[in-house]
Formats: sequence, C-alpha cells, structure tokens
Amino acid sequence: MTLDPITLQVIGGALHAIAEQMGNVLYRMSYSSIIRESQDLGAGLFDRDYNTLCESDSTPMHIGSLPGYLRGIEKSIPLDAWKPGDCVIHNHPYFGASHSPDIAVVMPVFYEGQLVGFSANTAHHVDIGAATPGLIIDVPDMFAEGMLFNGTKLYEEGKRSESLWRYIRDNTRVPGLVMGDLEAQIASAELGVRRFQELLATYGKDTVMQATRQLMDYTEAMLRREIAKIPDGDYVAEGFLDDDGRNRGKTLPVKVTVKKRGDGVEVDLTGSAPQSPTAFNVPFEGSTKVACYFAFRALLLDTYTHEEHIPQNEGSFRPVKVTAPLGSIYNPIAPVAAEARFCQIQRVVDLIIKALAPVLPDRCTAGNAATLSFAAFSGVRPNGDYWVFLEVNEAAMGGRPKSDGPDTVEELMRNTRNNPLEDLGMHLPLICDRYELRDDVMPGAGRFRGGQGVVKSQRFLTPGFVTHESDRHEDAPWGVFGGKSGAVGKYEIYNAAKPEEIKQYPAKFSGLRVQPGDVACYFSPSGGGYGDPLERPADQVLEDVLDDFITPEHAREAYGVLLMPADNGFPWMLDTEGTQKLRASMRA
Amino acid sequence: MIRVGVDVGGTFTDIVLEQTLAGGEQKIFVHKVASTPADQSIGVVQGVVEVCRIASVAPSAIDMVLHGTTVATNMVIERKGADVGMITTRGFRDILHMARHKRPHNFSLQFDVPWQSKPLVKRRNRLVVDERLRPPTGEVEVPLALDQVEAAAETFRRRGLKAIVICFLFSFLNNEHEAKARDIVKRVIPDAFVCCSHEVVNVIREYERFSSTAMNAYIGPTTALYLERLEGRLRENGVEARVRIMQSNGGISTVENSSRRPVGLLLSGPAGGVIGGRWTGASCNTKNIITIDVGGTSADISVIQNGQLRIKNPRDTEVAHLPVLVPMIDVDAIGAGGGSIAHLDPGGAFRVGPRSAGASPGPACYDKGGKEPAVTDAQVVLGRLDPEHFLGGDLKIVPALARAAIEEYVAKPLKLSVKDAALGVLRVVNNNMALAINSNSVAKGIDPRNFTLMGFGGAGPLHATSLAEIIGAKDTISPLHPGITAAMGLLLTELQYEYTRSVLVVAQKATSDDFASVNKIVADLTAEARVQLLADGVPTEKHKFSTVAECRYVGQGFELRASMPEGALGATNVGAVVKSFYDAHKQVYGHAFEDQLVELITLRVVGSAATDTLKLPDLPRGGRVDPAEAKLYVRDTVFDDGVAYPTPRYARAKLLADDRVVGPALVVQHNSTTLVPPGYVASVLSHGDMRVARGSV
Repeated sequence: MTLDPITLQVIGGALHAIAEQMGNVLYRMSYSSIIRESQDLGAGLFDRDYNTLCESDSTPMHIGSLPGYLRGIEKSIPLDAWKPGDCVIHNHPYFGASHSPDIAVVMPVFYEGQLVGFSANTAHHVDIGAATPGLIIDVPDMFAEGMLFNGTKLYEEGKRSESLWRYIRDNTRVPGLVMGDLEAQIASAELGVRRFQELLATYGKDTVMQATRQLMDYTEAMLRREIAKIPDGDYVAEGFLDDDGRNRGKTLPVKVTVKKRGDGVEVDLTGSAPQSPTAFNVPFEGSTKVACYFAFRALLLDTYTHEEHIPQNEGSFRPVKVTAPLGSIYNPIAPVAAEARFCQIQRVVDLIIKALAPVLPDRCTAGNAATLSFAAFSGVRPNGDYWVFLEVNEAAMGGRPKSDGPDTVEELMRNTRNNPLEDLGMHLPLICDRYELRDDVMPGAGRFRGGQGVVKSQRFLTPGFVTHESDRHEDAPWGVFGGKSGAVGKYEIYNAAKPEEIKQYPAKFSGLRVQPGDVACYFSPSGGGYGDPLERPADQVLEDVLDDFITPEHAREAYGVLLMPADNGFPWMLDTEGTQKLRASMRA
Repeated sequence: MIRVGVDVGGTFTDIVLEQTLAGGEQKIFVHKVASTPADQSIGVVQGVVEVCRIASVAPSAIDMVLHGTTVATNMVIERKGADVGMITTRGFRDILHMARHKRPHNFSLQFDVPWQSKPLVKRRNRLVVDERLRPPTGEVEVPLALDQVEAAAETFRRRGLKAIVICFLFSFLNNEHEAKARDIVKRVIPDAFVCCSHEVVNVIREYERFSSTAMNAYIGPTTALYLERLEGRLRENGVEARVRIMQSNGGISTVENSSRRPVGLLLSGPAGGVIGGRWTGASCNTKNIITIDVGGTSADISVIQNGQLRIKNPRDTEVAHLPVLVPMIDVDAIGAGGGSIAHLDPGGAFRVGPRSAGASPGPACYDKGGKEPAVTDAQVVLGRLDPEHFLGGDLKIVPALARAAIEEYVAKPLKLSVKDAALGVLRVVNNNMALAINSNSVAKGIDPRNFTLMGFGGAGPLHATSLAEIIGAKDTISPLHPGITAAMGLLLTELQYEYTRSVLVVAQKATSDDFASVNKIVADLTAEARVQLLADGVPTEKHKFSTVAECRYVGQGFELRASMPEGALGATNVGAVVKSFYDAHKQVYGHAFEDQLVELITLRVVGSAATDTLKLPDLPRGGRVDPAEAKLYVRDTVFDDGVAYPTPRYARAKLLADDRVVGPALVVQHNSTTLVPPGYVASVLSHGDMRVARGSV
C-alpha cells in the first residue's frame, strides 16, 4: 500500500501538531527556568521499532536523542513487558541517555490492545543530587552524577510508586522544581498518548503507520539527495579543547573525518582524545550521534534557505553513520562520568562544517563559537532551602556566505532562551551588573564578519557556589576563505568592593565558593570572518564603527578603511580616497 | 444617530453605515471600495463619502466613525518606522539586540535574526547612562546621571531623531528615573515623540518591555500622522464625526490615545472580525464559537467561550517576531486563504500555501496572468463558486483557466483526475486550517464538540462545514453578511482602556501590608482609567471596571489570568483568586496542583464604557422548506464525498426566517457563497443568519 500525497500531508501535519503540543505543555507547565524559559527539552512519538515519528521543534540537542533512550530502556523492559498506563523514567548515560540530568519520561501507546509505540519526552533537570549543585565537572565517576534511573517504572498500570516519588524528592536539592517539572513531563507524555490514539482512531492504524513509514522515507530521500551532490571523498578537520576540568594546560584534540560515499556519509571521530578522568565525556548514543545528525540537517536541509518543509523524523538520521572508538572522549567506557558533554559536541558540529567548507562554500559558516557557557549558581537560603539556578549564556556565529555571523545568539546544538534579568533579580540573591556585547575584542574580520560575543556579569548578594562548564579559552574560532579568526572566551571574578583585583578563571571549574559582592563575568568567544575583509564594502565598515561593533583602529588595520571625524551628530565619516589608497597598498 | 464602521483589508476596504431613526428603527448600508495601501485614509474617506451617498445622508450627519486599521502593523512588517533613539541603563546597551538569545530556526546555519538585521533601534542610537535601581524594592542604588541624559538627548537632537524611548532596568518598581530622563529629553527635543517603558507597559521582563516601548516609538510618529491626516480628510469632506480606532484588545480608543500609544493598534485589523463573530453568535443564541475569517492570503482564527473573547497569553503576543506586551484578542493567523497556491515542492510533497496569489495576479480563474492554481480555482472547478455570482458578478472569472491550472500543476504530476486534484487541494487547505484551529482550541483546553464553527470573510462559509467535520464542531453558522462581518464588528465595540502594574505577591503568604499594596495599586489603576474615560467624555455612571490578576505557581514562568473579587482583597477572599487560577491552569494544561503556592505577578484593570450596539431587524417569517421563490437554478456541484450532485442555488436575499434549505444546495449572495452539503440542512434564523448542521427536515 502506498498512500496518496494528500493523505500523507494530512497525517504528517497532524503528527507535527501533536509533537508541538507535547512540547508546549511541557515547557509552559514546568517550574525550573532551564525548562520553562530555556526550553531545554524535547518531546515526540515513536513506533515499536523506536523510530522517531515526530518531534517538537525545541532544542536541537534533544531532537534525535530519544531513540537512544528507548533502546537503552529495552535492555531492562522488553517490548512485551509494557502495560497500558506504565510510565518509565530513564537517564542512564550508558543506556542511551543524552546525559544524566536529561531525564526521559516514556509512556507506551496501546491501540486495540496492542502496543503500537511510545510517547516520550526529555527535559533537563536542575539538580539530580550530584556531587556539586546543578552541574558537575571534576568528579571521580558516574556515581557522582546523582540519581541514575535505568528503565525505572514510576507508574505501573496507572499507579504511581509513591516510595519512588518520595525517593526522588528526597535526593534533589530543589524538590520544588524537580517534582513540578516531572509532573509537567508526565502531563506532556499523557497528552501524546491520547493524541496518538485519537489519530489512529481517525485514520486507522494501517494508514497511520504506513504514513509514518512514507514520511520517514521522504525525509531520508531529501537528505540523501543533498548528500549525493557532495563529491565523494574524505574530509578532515581538527581542533582542540582547553582541558578536562582537572588537568590544566593539557589540551584535548578533536579530529573529525567526514567520509562521503554516494548518498551516505560517515563521521569518524578516530584521532580525538581518549576519555577524560572527569565528567568531560560524551555519551555516544544519546549525544555524539545526535550532534552528527544535526550537522547534516542544518548544513544540507537548512530551514531558512529551503522552501520545502521536511518532517522531523527518523529519516534524517538514516543516511548518517557515526563512528567513535570505544574509550575515547566521544564513546567513553563506564563507570567514567559523562555529564559535561556539550562543548565537545558543539566542536564536532563546527569541525564537520569546517571539513566540508571547501565543497560547501554556499552553505557553511566560518568558525562558530561552538561552545557553551553553562553556569550553576547556587546557595542556601536562611531557612535551609537550597536555591539552584542554571544559566546558559549565548555566544556568536561565524560569518556566512551571504551575511554576517549573528551576534550574541545560541549557536548550533543549543537553542535556549535567556532568563529575564528582572525576574531573576526579584527571586534570587543574584543581581546582574552587565549584559551586552563584548567590547574588549573584535569579531573576526571578513567580507562577512563574525558575530560578536556576549559579556554577562552576575553579582552574588549572599555566599554561594559556582560551577561553570565551558571551553574555548584557547582555540579561537577560525576564519574561512580569507576571513580572520574570532576571539576566545574568558571568565573573570572580582569583588565589587575591589573591581580592579580581577582573577582569571579557566573555562571549566567546579563548586567554587563565592562571597557577597563577588561578581562572576563570562565573556563568550566571537565568531570568525568569512571571505577577505578588504572585500567588505567600506560603508558597511563605517556602519559597524558607528554602531561600535568595531573600533576605527580595527577598521583601518583589518579592513583597510580610513575614517575621519564628522560633524553630523555622528563621530565618523568615510575617508573615501584614503580608504582606496590604503586598501590598494594592503592588497599589493 | 449614524455610525460608520470602516475595516481596511489588504485588497478591499469594507464600509458599514448604521442609521438609527427616531423611532429606534435601524437601517444598515454596506459598501466596498479598493484599498489604497500607499495611504489607507484615501480609500477610507472615499468609502465613507460613497456610503453616505448610498444611504442618502449628508456626511455631516455622521456621529461616529469607527476604524480598524493595519497601518501600524504594516509599518512593523515592512520595517518603515521612525529612526528611534534609546536611553538605557549602563551595562545593558544590547537588550534589544540579544532579545531572548534564541535563534528563530533550529536546523539552519544561514538564518536571519530580524531583531539584529532590522533593529527597531540601531545600536548607534542606543546610549547608556549611569543609573541603577535595586530589586526587589526599587530603591536607588546609583542615582540617575542627569548630565549624561542631557548629553544623550543633545546627540539625538543633532542626529535629527524624532522618536525617543527611555528604558531603564527595574523601572516597573520605580519610575522616577525614567520620568526625569523623559522630561530632559522633552526639553531638549520639544517636538519628539517620547515614551518611557513604564508608560507603555509597566510590567516585569526587560526585553519584552523595552521592545514594546521601542515598537511604540517606531510606529508612533507615522501612526499619529496617519490618524491626523485621516481626521483632516474626513473634515475636508464634511464629516464632523468623532473618530474612534479599534484596538488589539477588542476595545476602541480615541485618536489622541491611539496616537500616543499606537502599540495597542497592532491587531486592530483582525479584532473587528472576532467581535462581529461574537455579536452574530449572540443574536443566534450561541455563546461558544470558533471563528475563522478566511481572506485571500490568510485566515484568522479565534475562540469565543461563553460569550467572552479570549485574550492571548502575554508570552505569545508578537508582531513580526517581536514581542508586544499589550493585551490582544487571541487571534491566530495562518497562511491559508482563497489565494493560497497549490504546488508540489522540490521534494515532491504536495502543499497548499503559504505562498499566495494575492489579489494580483490572483487565482488563475481571475485571468490576470496567474498560472498556478489557487484554492479559489479548486472551488470553481468543483462547481462551488459560480462565475455569475462571484462578487455579485463584479469580478469576471474564467472557469476554464481554473481547470487548466489544476490539471497542469496538480492533476498531471499526481496522476489524478482534475476533480480529485481539486478535492485534494481543498482537503489539504482545510486540514491546514483545522490544525490551526486545533492549536488555538484543543491545545488550550477547548473541546470543539461544544462549539459552533463560524466561517466568514467571503470564502468562510465555503469551508465551514468541512472544517466542522474535521475538528468535530457541533454545527456551523453563516452570518447574514459574511463578507463584512469584520466591519460590522467595529460598530459593536466598547471604549476600553487597560492599565497594568507588576506586584509579585504570594497569595497564600500575603501579609496585611501586601493586601494593602495590592488594593492601592488596583485603586490607582482604576483612577487612571477613570480619568481617561472622563477625558473621552464618558459620564461616570457609564464607567465599568474589571480587574484581573495574572498569576503563576511560585517558580513557574508563565502567568495565567485569574479574576479578582469585587471590593478589597484580603485574607478572606484571596482564596477566590487562587481558585480562579487553579481553574485556569487546569483548563490550559489539564492539571492543577491544589496544594502549591500561587504568586500574583501583574494586576490589570480594564476600564470600559458601553456604547450603543447594532441591532439587525427581524426578518419576516417564511417557515418554508426549499422555497421555490428563492431558487435560482440547478447545476452540478462536487462535494467532499467526491460525488457530483445536481445542486440547486438559492438567493440568500430571498430567504426568510425559519426557512430551511436541504443539502445539497448552495446559498449565494453578493459577496459570499454558503455550502450546504448532502446530509445537511441550513436553517435561517430570525435576523437572517443561517445555521448549517447535519440532519434532515
């Protein structure tokens, strides 16, 4: 049976709407800012073979991670052990989870007495009782990550396990947030079950399941068609990470080889660093693979430049094979911890782009910040309750074939929202002193310049702790096709009473104690440039100077653009003749 | 008493004139002219003058002109607003540039970031000054540097900026710094449009408040100019009437207020339709309605529950990807309408819209050069739109062109018959509309089985029964004048002002001081509303006030509206607010946690004044079935079951109250056709609206 395109379109639209509704319920109902504001979550429907049928368009990191969870759960719950009304929680990094704070809630979907698939979601929980509040870096093993659930039934046939519920509540520092967020996840999964059953009742099981197969085939075909256009070959790019959060000064290589053959592609991470002794490792199923899937979708089926809507399903994963040697940072062996994995996978994506840039000049970018700034700020209130706040700080993108790299934006695998400073100020003993574009470095120069990074300074009003997960204090985002490199990030702490005594910190540190008045300042990397800076129109360079994205000195040195003082309310105007001469001499 | 409603659409401007005679009898005259996008007021005034001629009344006899306009919205979408200058807190120059730091596309590297590439305020015009307010009290930590404000204002003056905003962090706690800075700017640039963030939207969340304020200034000068010009043109043509402008929240406001706070006009266009739908429902004794206003390029969807308009959650109020923290009727627009083009995308998937043929070249059957098939072409191919009745025959259409387009672009590539291809086009567009209806209803806790679907706009009644089937609505209503429901809505609105302030009090832990502060804020906001209503000439006895508390569970990030009790809030009645919040939470999310703390975040007072409303005359009673007097002719029409039935056409103007028309049938009128499929009966209600439902006579 092959369904006509009209029925296919109708069922495809319905599946998409279900996933969006599941995501909406989850983030709107939830309590913690990491879910409700940052939308660090994913939700969707899956068939009995754990294929993704549809997924909410929330955070790329979560999209494509759930099949790994489901396959991991199967190790403890085979298909015939599911009962209607069951609800399983799962977060084990060595059984398919993306990383342990991303707890999945999974419910089976039964139709006419038969298991037809699953409704599931993942969400990042603020605190699962790990060694340090919120986030961990320098820990001995995965048992320091906190509560690990491996195919654990929270509900059996509709009945909640109250002892398990209490256990969870008693083992997180912030039960008010975590329990409310779990409730939101359960509501979202229940909604998915209901809507999936309604869809099956409306169109019939055979028609719906046939439609899902065709939709997956369609997405797969669309991606394969684009892959096929790339010349066959091996494309290699390399970079390095700062350190593992414990052994300072010891950088970690990352090597990406993209092996393109026909209409398929393999990403081979052989040559990357061996696994870290800290939590700075990447769960293979739930994170490494997902990053590679993302890279090819974003490069080849860019939703901004493609008119056609590509359904979000398993089909986009099939053409991409991922290899990482067991025991490497991208495929660690238990019991090493693997919670802090985001910076590494951002770099995989960025290096895939770099490797393919020579053959995809119209679709690539210059070096992106390709990092993360994940800060866990915490403390204990006078009544003994913990407060834990997870802050994601944005960075910037590299210049692009037709446009500048966006400034201060969530790049690549992440796409969260920031927290309103006023909301934080009203509820936490933390006050923001600065949040704007960096002005201490210049973004990578190019025909299309790199995006400028961010600076954010948070001041503690009471004693507390900071853990920071980041990278890229060493290896600056590169320029391409004649563009210049961007800037590395930095982390500074000073006390507001002595602002001149600034201490520099590495990108990763764990459980740092801070005092009232201490200000923690994050400076994100800025993106590399695309194309020769001398090709950038001089009036555009002037605009950048007027907007203080760059200084007049940088305009002269990097772009060969000379300015002279103006008297029109703006400080500068173009010295056209001087610029022509300077640019000519620089080209010579 | 003569009132005129003018609704400006992308293609046509609709005008309704309502005349109430001495004995209370009302007459309605309707008219349609081409819109004049370059300056909407030209079409508006032309329409008003012409409708006066049709009604044989002098322009000077009009008492009130009510106007729904897309001027402000278009300015944002087309980015044709003013150069705005902004004075803000040092250290926070780029709140507008960073937005919520989320990019608009997940799977894209080449995406655009509209707030960076087309900012409301360029970075060079965002100047910072020393000042700092300290949460949670709003006390001054760093005093405002007056000299820096003066210097910034001077810079703006030299740059020739005429629109300036003052946006300081935590100004919702203490507006003293913003007010001082505003006074300085007004002194330095006396003719500038100046607004402070606490004046535009006095609520927590800096990006949304700053952006709303910047948008207000961005559209401020031109909107004010437009309204001034409109009033001027009306005066030149002898219209002395008061002019009132439709607001996004469903109320109306004066020209003066609309000019000062144009950010409230951004949904002025679609709001009229929803109000018209509510009123039609009321005259059909129907309080639960899903409205869909089907235009050429888009359809607007809204839900009326128990006779009440639904207001969008402030987290969802956006225009052109920019947040606008202003109450708006919960209308969702979807890119699906009569002009939506059916096509196969490069991957071979079949799609209808969002690309549209618009009014020019329009659908293929318009014979204006459009080659690709649009939804209207599918209707024509299936015999659902007759050439002789399309816009009353005003617009010539060529069925053969519709057929050729469907055949070439849909039937051949999909190896379908032309009929099946046309049915497929409608099936997909109806499905798109139905999914959009679901996300504005089912997804928000509304059960469509208890709702009536009301389709209007010229093409609405063609889609209504199919949509009702898909979403499971209980029946449909075709309003008496589907094509001008939005313009009628303008005659039905109330003068309405909203005032808000953030409060942040946990309901179950509130102290007597907290209650006192809540009550004081409510009293202050009410007083502000009263002053405004009096300034508009509304006598005290006509004032109405309602108060809502926007609440969330402590720790949540999204507020929902809870109703506030009459009289002062205190320990004895705060439970009612909590209960109201629980109910809202349960409806929206399907769950409520009854043991958890609820925080009041924002108080909102709505001050309104009832205006005279429109009444349609009762039709004489007919009581007939398939009345021969109204029957025009019989022609084959294909319905959703794929069968071509010999289908009679009835002239709507000749139907009387309690007449029934048994499907298959088409009921035709000047600007609309109502589909009555086989197995359905259309019943004419007392004013001429029709209820179309499954059944037999």
